Amino acid sequence: MSLKMWYKDKIHRHCEGRRPEAILKILFIVWVVLWIGFLARELFVKNNIRDYKNLLTRTLEGKHSYVTGDRLYDFLTYCKTTMPENSAYNIIGMDEGALESRKAVYYLYPNVKTADPDFIIDISQYTIKRVEE
Amino acid sequence: MELISLIATLMVATFIGFNVLYIVLGKFDKLSFSEAVFISFALGLGTISLEMLIFYLLGLTFSVPVILIPWTILVTINVYRHMKYGDGFTFSERSTIPKEKNRALSIFLTCGITLEVAYAFFRALIKPIEAYDAVAIYAIKSKIFFLAKAIPQNYFPGLVHGFPHPDYPLNIPLSETFLYLAMRNLNDQLVKLIFPLFFVGILCILYFAIRRFASRAYALLFTFLLASIPMFNAYAANAYQELPLAFYYFASAIFLFAWIKEKKDLHILGLSAVLVALAGWTKNEGMLYCVINASIVLFVSVLARKDTSWKVTIAPVMYVFIIALILAPWIWVKQRFGIVNDEINLFNLNPVYLFKQLYKMGPILYEFQKQLFGPKKWILLWPIAIYAAIFHSRKIFAPEQRYISISLILAFCGYVLFYMVSYVDVVFFTSKTWGRFMLHFLPLVVLWLAHMLKEDIKI
Repeated sequence: MSLKMWYKDKIHRHCEGRRPEAILKILFIVWVVLWIGFLARELFVKNNIRDYKNLLTRTLEGKHSYVTGDRLYDFLTYCKTTMPENSAYNIIGMDEGALESRKAVYYLYPNVKTADPDFIIDISQYTIKRVEE
Repeated sequence: MELISLIATLMVATFIGFNVLYIVLGKFDKLSFSEAVFISFALGLGTISLEMLIFYLLGLTFSVPVILIPWTILVTINVYRHMKYGDGFTFSERSTIPKEKNRALSIFLTCGITLEVAYAFFRALIKPIEAYDAVAIYAIKSKIFFLAKAIPQNYFPGLVHGFPHPDYPLNIPLSETFLYLAMRNLNDQLVKLIFPLFFVGILCILYFAIRRFASRAYALLFTFLLASIPMFNAYAANAYQELPLAFYYFASAIFLFAWIKEKKDLHILGLSAVLVALAGWTKNEGMLYCVINASIVLFVSVLARKDTSWKVTIAPVMYVFIIALILAPWIWVKQRFGIVNDEINLFNLNPVYLFKQLYKMGPILYEFQKQLFGPKKWILLWPIAIYAAIFHSRKIFAPEQRYISISLILAFCGYVLFYMVSYVDVVFFTSKTWGRFMLHFLPLVVLWLAHMLKEDIKI
């Protein structure tokens, strides 16, 4: 029996014997149950509700701090006040591709990360050093 | 105050988009009012960001009044045209398909959609931009442009290479910059408002697309299915470009299919071309959809070659010309400064190279099936799509959904090709991107399902 014949024989006959609407009704009910379950999971099991609660009362600056991690954000704020505007820096102590490193680049701009820096920022040790001439 | 400025600016952007829509379409009798609003919003942001790129080429700096002034010409032309030839802003009539009997189901679905929309806005606006790509690729660019009040002249020759993916299009970063300028503050929390708006826009377009051939409850059902997909809702809030791209592509596809039905109104086809070009201006993947849509237009024109109407003959040329015209400034900038993608080389698209990459098919298909059967992200969407494809296989290429099916198959093949020609480790790349790529054509899959299951669901 060719594949096409088998398909016609089994699948279509199988389909004709069922009421598709009933199958789809069951699928819809399962969908709604899963939808509610995943919504609840995200809020309560993953504990996003705690984040939302903490974020609600914060200012924009406070929210930046919360999503970055308070300690790292305070350190980056300190780096920004320490470096003169538009100075060059490099980051060590963390992989370049790490989210913290990317956020540091974002928050520290207009200071620019380069291979020939004026400052070295060690994110893992929370230290900033001026490069000696 | 910043929120008021933001909302007012979004309304102005939507008004500009409405004028672009009017100059392209000439009339609105094929659109409902809500569709027109969301398409105008997306057109407004897309064209303003394009204008900002042209400002860079002209050496101009950004300010809200300077950005808005050139649009007064378009508004004046439209007012003149409307007064002389216009027949009033008539939007499409209410669907003739009667309202459903199942009122309780409609109320439940409406509540579900409202909950998902409210949750998307809440999630977007509760925190500033913080997701990986949103910060590393897009938000940093909008910060650079906002602080410089321009795209700095040293940006493309040098600065851009200090950040990941310099070749990624600038539609959303420049739109964010425009909104920062309006708020006069780099408020990367409020600026996220645009993402749930794209989410609602997709739902709205899907609803009206289904409403044209089915009852209200049926349209609500599929709108609810799309809105409740966790992956789709999550990307409405994280400032990634997936939903803006999905919006532009989905809207372009809807107008393309509308043109295919009658093959008469070139305005509709023109709007499709503008929207898909803006998809290319939003993400590199948008270029794939430009190629898919243009291929379909060419295919349809060839099939209809007996139709001697010049409108059918000219359609593919016009479609490609509009896309090329809109993307020309961006392509020119990339060529001029040698900005290339560091993950994909399209010169590898040759049979010999592709044959050598066949080993990648295993990981590509493995990750794809992981997505298909992963309810945490998609609930039961893909199993239902498989059900529809198996039990209604004869309908896949039936006239009503033939081109939706072809578009989806081409999109899938396009992404597989991306993976094949990519330099990035295929296991890593597919695990990070397959789900996101699937979001780009997800609204079209839901529309396809609505066509396929029309006779099975009587509501």
